[in-house]
Amino acid sequence: MNTTETAGHHPLISCSNLTKIYKMGQTEVRALDAVDLEIFAGEFVAIVGSSGSGKSTLMNMLGALDQPTNGQVKINNNDLGAMKSNALAAFRNETIGFVFQQFQLLPKKTALKNVILPLQYRKPRVKDEKERASHALGLVGLSDRTSHRPSELSGGQQQRVAIARALAGSPKVLLADEPTGALDSKTSTDIMLLMQGLNAQGITIIVITHEDEVAAYAQRVIEFKDGRIISDIQKSEAAS
Amino acid sequence: MSVLSTWGLAASSIIERPLRSFLTSLGIIIGVASVYAMLMLGEVAKRKVEESLNSINTRTMQVWPDWNRRRSSQSRPSMPFSEQDIRDMRQINGVYAATGTITGRSYTIATDTNDLNGNFLGVDPDQLKASGNEIVLGENISFADIETRRPVVVISQAIQQRLFDGQNPLGQTIRVRNVAFLVKGVATKAESNVSFGNDDVFVWAPINVARERVIGGNRFIPNHVSNIRVVGDLGEDLNTIEEEINIVLRRSRDLKIGSPPDYRIFSSRGWQEQAASQTKSLSYLLAAMGSISLLVGGVGVMNIMLVSVTERTREIGLRMAMGAKKSNIRNQFLTESILLCMLSGVLGLLIGHFASQFAVKAIEQEPFFSPTVALIAFGSAWIIGMVFGFLPARRAANLNPIEALRHE
Repeated sequence: MNTTETAGHHPLISCSNLTKIYKMGQTEVRALDAVDLEIFAGEFVAIVGSSGSGKSTLMNMLGALDQPTNGQVKINNNDLGAMKSNALAAFRNETIGFVFQQFQLLPKKTALKNVILPLQYRKPRVKDEKERASHALGLVGLSDRTSHRPSELSGGQQQRVAIARALAGSPKVLLADEPTGALDSKTSTDIMLLMQGLNAQGITIIVITHEDEVAAYAQRVIEFKDGRIISDIQKSEAAS
Repeated sequence: MSVLSTWGLAASSIIERPLRSFLTSLGIIIGVASVYAMLMLGEVAKRKVEESLNSINTRTMQVWPDWNRRRSSQSRPSMPFSEQDIRDMRQINGVYAATGTITGRSYTIATDTNDLNGNFLGVDPDQLKASGNEIVLGENISFADIETRRPVVVISQAIQQRLFDGQNPLGQTIRVRNVAFLVKGVATKAESNVSFGNDDVFVWAPINVARERVIGGNRFIPNHVSNIRVVGDLGEDLNTIEEEINIVLRRSRDLKIGSPPDYRIFSSRGWQEQAASQTKSLSYLLAAMGSISLLVGGVGVMNIMLVSVTERTREIGLRMAMGAKKSNIRNQFLTESILLCMLSGVLGLLIGHFASQFAVKAIEQEPFFSPTVALIAFGSAWIIGMVFGFLPARRAANLNPIEALRHE
């Protein structure tokens, strides 16, 4: 199944027996139920499933925004379950690039300022943050929009800025949560093609989506249901 | 995140919401302005009181004879002092001037062509120092005048104006009860806020000449003096001097130990000091009122900061996802609150300064700037920002990033 594993690489992400239980009053909700999963550097993975399947919980785990009730999640040799708040923050800053459904851009800041944001929390301090941010905006094809504010950009452009922001800190993983959820189909295609292009440059991408069209761009599609993986399909070639 | 960019972030978030920032800071501005202005007025009042405490009037004690309570008031009314008493008092440590006068009120003072009613006083040379008056023309009464019983007088400027039409009166003659006196000097009236009846119409004559030829002697004491005025040196403790005066008088008046004095010592110092302490407590009261408005302003800041945290919940979640630590978020909001209060503090200081200068001028005092007062007012703004920014900042820092990102 995992062809790269046989090549002898260590997985970039590995989850073992990953369990997350939410308490809702008296009842316990098993959002993730003993999930084992490995993702390797350079992969383009789509995690699909209906709402409540546990995919968002997995996303929060992988993004170090939440910690498991049981089991282990290891990313780039960091055991996230054992880390404290400050270490998790630093980890997110260095390792993860988030892309959100609602873009989550700061409305009063220019595109460049938005992209600089994660670099401002980097330790040690990044001296050439402007250059890095411009470069990231170049990667998403927005070199000419650096001084525009989000309100002056189209939805697709805003999501590109968000992707540039995720890339600016040179993360190990790009974690996209329904990245096309707020976009029309034409723009969605553009965004997914952009992600494919980025993946081709070696960036590991994990996309969480409930749309099969979006998942079709990935090399590997993992389907969740009731907190468990029900299928994990590796495609030989990405769809276009 | 560097300190500089935290401040930059705080500044931009204040600038991005100008109206709200201004309205929020109003409370602090008014608070700082009133604290500053009130402390300033207190300071001015303090200076004014200090000034008056050093004035000659406040340093002056007046000694008057009183009824002798042990004898029948009919047979023995108040007993005057003697010139020896004054000489003894001049020897007391810390005494700037001691002078005795015999007073005659409402005497007709006449030239050949003109006359008026005024105070006729027998004085010694110390009268000039003790009264705070100044000689503007001619000379003061001298000890030689007393020794040689010369019929000379110093007249006040008011008399110069009214009897001599402001012309030079030196060498002219005035008559009091048909006694001719040669005018040898003109004195100004002292600038005084406390009056013990020293009108501006007065004539000073050598004490013995006045006694023997105009006012008349006393049947008990040959060299009698009707009242004494003792002035302490600058910064001297008047209480000590008063005790010494008591010793001198009790001995000369032959008072038994424990018997009540048959004289009284008056000074304006008591109520001056009381006025000083009242001014001080008034300024504290006003400053306390200013602090209350500062406190209310602080609550306003906290309120707006809480609103701001709620409003920017998604931004906070985003920043956390991007790698902001709790401390980064806390510092961001704390800095914003402190910066807002500091800016308000500066504005408040300016307003308070101009308002208090205006008020200071209105009570005819020299305007000035007090760094201590400014520091207190500004520092309290800083502290308000810190204290009232803390709760919202902590709330922001403790947000759960997942929920914060989902916040609508």
